[in-house]
Amino acid sequence: MWQRRAFLKAAGVGFAASLMPQQLMALERNELVFASSVQTKAGGYGAVLMGERGDVITTLALPDRGHDITVSFEAGRGVVFARQPGTFAVVFDPAGKEAPITLTSPEGRHFYGHGVFSPDGKLLYATESDFEAAKGVIGVYDTVGGYQRISEFPTYGTGPHELLLMPDGKTLVIANGGIETHPDYGRTELNLDTMDPSVAFVDRTTGELIGQLRLDAGLHQLSIRHMAIDARSRVWFGCQFRGSASASPQLVGYATMDGEIKLIELPSDTLLDLRNYVGSVAASADGTTIAVSSPEGDLLVAIDAEGKRPVLVETLRNGCGLAPDGTGFVASSGEGELIGIAGSGEARRQFDFMFDNHMLRVG
Amino acid sequence: MRIVLALLFALSAGPAMAQLSTSPGEVMRGAVNNFIRPAMTDFGGKADALSTAVAQLCATPSQANLSAVDTAFANTALAFGRIEAIRVGPIMEENRSERLLFWPDRKGIALKQVQAILSSQDESATSPDTLRSKSVAVQGLTALEFVLYGIGFDTLKTADGAFRCQYGSAIAQSVAGVANELVAAWNAEDGIALHLMKPDATFTDFRTPIEAQEELVGILSHGIEAVRDTRLNPFLAKGDATAKPKLALFWRSGLTVPMIRANIDGLQSLFALSGISGGVPNDKADLPIAIAAEFANADVALDLVTEPVEAAVADPTQAQALADVVTATQQLGVLIGEQLSAALGLSVGFSSLDGD
Repeated sequence: MWQRRAFLKAAGVGFAASLMPQQLMALERNELVFASSVQTKAGGYGAVLMGERGDVITTLALPDRGHDITVSFEAGRGVVFARQPGTFAVVFDPAGKEAPITLTSPEGRHFYGHGVFSPDGKLLYATESDFEAAKGVIGVYDTVGGYQRISEFPTYGTGPHELLLMPDGKTLVIANGGIETHPDYGRTELNLDTMDPSVAFVDRTTGELIGQLRLDAGLHQLSIRHMAIDARSRVWFGCQFRGSASASPQLVGYATMDGEIKLIELPSDTLLDLRNYVGSVAASADGTTIAVSSPEGDLLVAIDAEGKRPVLVETLRNGCGLAPDGTGFVASSGEGELIGIAGSGEARRQFDFMFDNHMLRVG
Repeated sequence: MRIVLALLFALSAGPAMAQLSTSPGEVMRGAVNNFIRPAMTDFGGKADALSTAVAQLCATPSQANLSAVDTAFANTALAFGRIEAIRVGPIMEENRSERLLFWPDRKGIALKQVQAILSSQDESATSPDTLRSKSVAVQGLTALEFVLYGIGFDTLKTADGAFRCQYGSAIAQSVAGVANELVAAWNAEDGIALHLMKPDATFTDFRTPIEAQEELVGILSHGIEAVRDTRLNPFLAKGDATAKPKLALFWRSGLTVPMIRANIDGLQSLFALSGISGGVPNDKADLPIAIAAEFANADVALDLVTEPVEAAVADPTQAQALADVVTATQQLGVLIGEQLSAALGLSVGFSSLDGD
């Protein structure tokens, strides 16, 4: 578990040295540190690093709207990915000593907003679109060599979204949302009649497919988008349904490397309150509780991973970002609110910027 | 159009102040009864007329009957254009949307499949029942446009075009069938119209008036975004890239710009006839005026596009006018998707949330 001291140690002396006294005090006071993309009230975009007490430790300006953030202590860097179909990713030094580097996706590719480092921090993997072929790819970046893009391999599907590193350190799990888009057509979804979402397990060292799981054919419009891994290495996922609003399929499930994929049964009221849309998924620090959010339904749901049933339902207007703290989760909203749920001691706070869809706990 | 706009301006600026307490329920009744139901019924009627006209052409091939089909096709396409943004309820079931209009078609799937049917004279494409089991791309208006305006269309004037005409007739019947399913579903007492007008906790789709009103603002916001992203930007020149008018919807029939106008006109009518401006608080009273003004800007720009799309993009004045329509859609996206939804106290950022 990454705690503040580990973060300070990993970031090195330079981190503390480079911070303004006020920021340093903020860091000293906070046990946990979170990161999120944000939009300012004036309409600008950026990313923030903030403490559990709500102190903004540092901010990073972005050229356009960011999405998820990933951090590697081994690499000493964080990366903010552009929201799809953006073409930039900004590599930043949490210590603020080195200037940020802006990566641009190569010709014919764009980012999907998510990525992950290898355990040793030497490689960065990002979900990208080969949009002419309408196929998902994982772009591989060499963090030691100035973040050069050194190779790519398929996601074995269309419209990949979140990807995570499995606890074995070798397997990437990828949510192939199944939706084809093309920059010429903005965010228009081009294949709702033939969507084919899946969860793919891929060997990051060879790019080979280890296994791929799909829900029943009747659920082909259920786009698998976001994931979190529980204490038993099960991959919990949240979906967004692209069919008629009058249908309300289950939206949360789990997949395993043993080949099991299953939707859990949320009670009808809770399911309807999610409005056919799960915006993010997180696992608690001990991996026994899964939280999912719906900014469309202003709803947060905590699920007992063993019992596979909700243990808490909370409303948060435009709530989407979720990250574990010591005892529960913090949740952030597009209205600039931050709250604690499911055992978290966080008090409700209001910020003067709006949080994007994802919150990352970085220390 | 101008008269409607002038009226809207007048309502928004003056007497509309008295309506500022319009409830979400009233807005949804206005949307459904004043615009959606009549526009769906109009589409159903136009599609029936098209089906009849194509059957007549097949029975008696002639230039006159082909011209009648052209007129009926334009009427049907534009009637659909007015309700195309209503992506809720029956249109979202059974692939009806794709079966009516398979678009965007980035890979040209419809063209290839339609040409294959025509060249192989596939008899199973000449009955709506068997056509139904084929690719959605060969069942709707995009396919019918190629039949009526693509290479070889002039055979329709003679007996040589018998197969082509029979296939066209099956498409027209299929379109009419889907259109009338939409009409029936929207006019049903207990269907989507009820759910939007009288939301209930027992419904799966719309349980509160706010949820229903969010859908309405979403339709307006997504609709305007779709016009920009699927009907304008794909073929307009940008940066070093030249214009690609053959990527435009309905370039063969010359209906590209009329279809854009129908789309925008439908959204404008839905906005005005729903009375949604009446729900905007007093301190935001200038917002509906700004929205109406931006719709008017789009109209003015479209008026300047007088030639078919291939000629229009080659003419600096008309190309600029099309770019101005894009700008108007961008402004409308912000005004409706962000500012109107915020003013009405709805969940903000409809478009910005989708798909992430």
